[in-house]
Amino acid sequence: MTPETAVVQALNGISFGALLFILAAGLSLIFGMMDVVNLAHGAFYMLGAYITLTVVQRTGQFWLALLLAPLLIGALGLLMEPLLLRRLRGRHLDQVLLTIGVSLVIADLIGLTFGREIRSIPFPAGLDHAITIMGGDYPVYRLFVIAFGVALAVLLAIVHRRTRVGALIRAGVDDAPMLAALGVDIDRLFAVTFAVGAALAGLAGVIAAPVFGIYPGMDVDYLIYSLVVVVVGGLGTLSGAVAGSALIGPTDTFGRVLFPQFALALIFAIMAVVLLLRPTGLLGRIRIAR
Amino acid sequence: MAVMRSAGRSRLQAHTTMASLARSDQREEGDHVDENKGGERRSYRLTRRQFLAASSAAAAIAACGPAATPSSAGAATATGAATASPGPALKIGMLLPFTKVYAELGNSMQRATKLYLKQKGEKLANRPVTVIYEDEANDPVVGTQKTQKFIEQDRVDVMMGIVATPIAYAVRNAIDAAKLVFIETNAGGNALTRTTTDCKPSCKSKYIFRTSFSSYQISYPIGEYFATKKGVKEVFTFVSDYGFGNESAADFTSGFTKGGGKVTGGLKAPLPTADFLPFVTQLKAQPTKDIYSFFSGTDAIGYIRAWNQLGMPAAGYKMNGAGFLTEQDVLKEVKEQANGAVTSLFWAVTLDNAENKAFVDAYQKEYSLLPDVFAVQAWDGMQALDLALQATKGDTTNKDAFIAALESVKFKSPRGDFEFDKETHNPIQDIYIREVKVQGGQAVNTIVDKVARVTDPGK
Repeated sequence: MTPETAVVQALNGISFGALLFILAAGLSLIFGMMDVVNLAHGAFYMLGAYITLTVVQRTGQFWLALLLAPLLIGALGLLMEPLLLRRLRGRHLDQVLLTIGVSLVIADLIGLTFGREIRSIPFPAGLDHAITIMGGDYPVYRLFVIAFGVALAVLLAIVHRRTRVGALIRAGVDDAPMLAALGVDIDRLFAVTFAVGAALAGLAGVIAAPVFGIYPGMDVDYLIYSLVVVVVGGLGTLSGAVAGSALIGPTDTFGRVLFPQFALALIFAIMAVVLLLRPTGLLGRIRIAR
Repeated sequence: MAVMRSAGRSRLQAHTTMASLARSDQREEGDHVDENKGGERRSYRLTRRQFLAASSAAAAIAACGPAATPSSAGAATATGAATASPGPALKIGMLLPFTKVYAELGNSMQRATKLYLKQKGEKLANRPVTVIYEDEANDPVVGTQKTQKFIEQDRVDVMMGIVATPIAYAVRNAIDAAKLVFIETNAGGNALTRTTTDCKPSCKSKYIFRTSFSSYQISYPIGEYFATKKGVKEVFTFVSDYGFGNESAADFTSGFTKGGGKVTGGLKAPLPTADFLPFVTQLKAQPTKDIYSFFSGTDAIGYIRAWNQLGMPAAGYKMNGAGFLTEQDVLKEVKEQANGAVTSLFWAVTLDNAENKAFVDAYQKEYSLLPDVFAVQAWDGMQALDLALQATKGDTTNKDAFIAALESVKFKSPRGDFEFDKETHNPIQDIYIREVKVQGGQAVNTIVDKVARVTDPGK
């Protein structure tokens, strides 16, 4: 691999990592706060992509979709938490089953509404050209994905560290029952957390739609990636999601082109090693089995 | 890689199973909360039998939705016009994907099947036809269960369908042992109609026919054509890393090398591949301009888009491949981005013959959309079955006579002349070299040349 190619591949890997971060941040948030492994996360992601498809087909406005999809999916999360998940609080297996059920319902409803064909949308206007990097064309949209991921990480970090909501989230991750005992409305906090997590999945779906296409089965493909990222990075912490995606994105990209035979095994091998050496993940504080 | 993927799938399957069990527990539960707890405990101790039953039930439930037909899981009894003495009902077991990534292929084949039966008054050789559709969910385990259902429970007269090669390989022995006549309408893995050592990974069976193609047929001729007629000296291969992609690369390479060309190297993309940019980056980092690729569906779309994003056409690279790279499902999404791609297949929607025109017209009239190659494969499966039944006067019980009748069917297909190779039961067919051109604002496969009567070597 020449240095030029290596630089371009690094960009490819970082932009994939940035996308994984947007996707995994929500999953990590929900798990850290609520102790729920939300397996409907992939379906929320898929829903985000299909909302983007609809909005782009109807209005041609990608940016409208970027606003609308997280709002709609956040609203869905806001409904789903009190109506479904709250009844099963503390019953982990039941919650997992419930979220699988919801993901199957969403995926099949999408199939019924949009058909089972493979769809794609063009890059949004303004980001649909290429610039010259290392003497070759490189799509600007991929650089936008990196910028968006970094900006989102910074924004989330500020909210996490500097605001009251962030303080509540950090406290909730450490000890939710104690937080409730201190008089915080934990029901409301959980509902909002779940909504924000779902909205982040939807946001990832919007960002990914022009790059990775829109097709039945995308929910499962990316759910697995996001689970790997949060397990490697550490469950429940924002820095964990950053570390996990920064490691998995480029590793997956380089692994696929350098050792295509072992590409998927590679990221699972990393996961296994991390779990052996640091069962909480790279930057996590929560033990996975508890 | 495929292993990892199917592991993921079956994990989900297991979850589905548990979900359905939990659901039934809840239904029984009523007010007895304690019993529900017992139910939870039960669900941990799943026996294999419970697992199989529940997972196939779950898959059947899943199949109901997408197929959008009342017949997905149950039987659609055709009520053809009553004649004086209709023969006994003919049961066809049709195993197709109605969920997951190949769902649209399944839908397309189902549409062609229904159209054919509608044109024939829901009867073949005076036998009213019942088609039982099942969802194979792109999973060899599910495919095997459904095949067993066709054999033991439904006792179908003929089985058809199956999109993915691993599923076809997985059910081959069961079909052979049950002496069930099976017409494969898509999966192109070479081994299904070949003599192989110890039948690994699969091998031909006298009960198995194929109306689609073998990977050899869509890869070897274009290799030879490139070297001898197109004057291409060097090619670099880039295929998806699973059985079918590897076969396609190997067959292309042997055809191309035999014609005097040189394959300078190859790259493989593991499945599933979300992001094609890293691979196209690698292609651009090597000097051979002509690329032979095998991808289909989502992968083909991702590949072609990444190809343009990195400015490959401007850098002088040329995209070539097996025909699925630029079939309708892909072309309608990538449009002019596929311009100039040269591929080989046994059919194109633009193919100029009377049967194809009639078929495309009828299909468009019925469904308001263009047929794809998958529809043609299913259509020809029905045609072959129909003609063989007419030859045996509708009898399917004498297997040898029925097989002999199938072996000798010859007809005009939308793809041109169709007949089975008696040795392999794979079709003998013309292979067309096609180039994507933009005509009147639409990207279409135009026929450039033809390699006549290509048959699989059979070993």
